[in-house]
Amino acid sequence: MTEKKKERINIHEYLAEFDDIPGTRVFTAQRARKGYWLNQFAMSLMKAENRERFKADEKAYLDEWNLSDAAKQAVLDRDYNAMIDEGGNVYYLSKLFSTDGKSFQFAAGSMTGMTQEDYAKMMIDGGRAPHGVRSIKGGY
Amino acid sequence: MARVTTGITSSHIPALGAAIQTGKTGDDYWGPVFDGYKAIKDWIKQPGNMPDVVVLVYNDHASAFDMNCIPTFAIGCAESFKPADEGWGPRPVPEVIGHPDLAWHIAQSLILDDFDMCIFNQMDVDHGCTIPLSMMFGEPEEWPCKVIPLPVNVVTYPPPSGARCFALGDSIKAAVESFPEDLNVHVWGTGGMSHQLQGPRAGLINKEFDLKFIDQLINDPDTLAKMPHIEYLREAGSEGIELVMWLIMRGALGDKVKDLYNFYHIPASNTALGALILQPEETAGEALDPRVVHSGHSLATAAE
Ligand SMILES: [Fe+2]
Repeated sequence: MTEKKKERINIHEYLAEFDDIPGTRVFTAQRARKGYWLNQFAMSLMKAENRERFKADEKAYLDEWNLSDAAKQAVLDRDYNAMIDEGGNVYYLSKLFSTDGKSFQFAAGSMTGMTQEDYAKMMIDGGRAPHGVRSIKGGY
Repeated sequence: MARVTTGITSSHIPALGAAIQTGKTGDDYWGPVFDGYKAIKDWIKQPGNMPDVVVLVYNDHASAFDMNCIPTFAIGCAESFKPADEGWGPRPVPEVIGHPDLAWHIAQSLILDDFDMCIFNQMDVDHGCTIPLSMMFGEPEEWPCKVIPLPVNVVTYPPPSGARCFALGDSIKAAVESFPEDLNVHVWGTGGMSHQLQGPRAGLINKEFDLKFIDQLINDPDTLAKMPHIEYLREAGSEGIELVMWLIMRGALGDKVKDLYNFYHIPASNTALGALILQPEETAGEALDPRVVHSGHSLATAAE
């Protein structure tokens, strides 16, 4: 028997800290559960025949999945922030924007409220500085 | 005996693959990135440097694994692995050829060493695995070495801790060293550096954090391994957590390492990019010239 652990991470504190990061939704178990079908829908677009069916009639394709109305609307609107609120994860959702022929930069930019041009320029200028966006409570 | 001779870190973002496919590797945007990698591409072709096998640590980006199966540490033991279709058709790159003998040996050894691995005998590999191969080897008909894919969950929380990743690297080292065949084995840690792909904070880059991370990875990995997830999230962005995988590479190199090459660039699409060649100090080769290359915004090219 190896030695027992002396210290354990408090899971409640561990999870609570995630809410203190501005403009960020960490993909916790809670979000993963909420977004189960949305993410599985996105995964289905890894098959060419599914991509074709989806493109032919997006609404009909979405109706085949056990999705909330809000999740369906978020997909139809390509509102990636709303999809993340519905439990989507960007790596799953990448199958959706790839189906649209869009890049990670496009999708990430679309979530910032900036225009694509301004977002691209911010990245070339060195990206978003961490100052002031590390902690809500701490304000640093 | 097999030996872990080298650790390499690399970005694995899909945009690098797109730049190769669309012939943009020499343009104003991508040129400095591919210039920075050219030194590694040249180095790896030199006698003695080409690995027989790469243990390639990466994360699956919801390609081989969906919400139904979320392995924390997995290892691919198959004969070969197909590039995954991630929504735009599979990347036009060769199949990844495995090394089932060594992979199974590592899997068994790790489990006996208290790492309860998840073993895959069929698994597609996504950009996390194939982009680093393209960056190191270009566009060959076949990859020049065998690859053991080692996917780590860094998508669904919680991912493994830095300390656990560092210890896994140490166990991989021991496993490789007990394999009787004479093999040059590399361990590659991929992903990172600072980046965030979601929400209003998307686009976060933290140069100060990244450069300190590289320095600590080389010189003080024991301290670095203790960094909690929240610090990665705050400082390096929600997707910067991929950096825990670099600690697996570092753990496989032993106590002291020499950095033969140290490349950092901002930005590659949404991310800061770091590419390193490290070797165990006792058996380290010559450093590249220049050894340190920084490029991109506000990073004067530094050479030493
Ligand atoms: Fe990644």
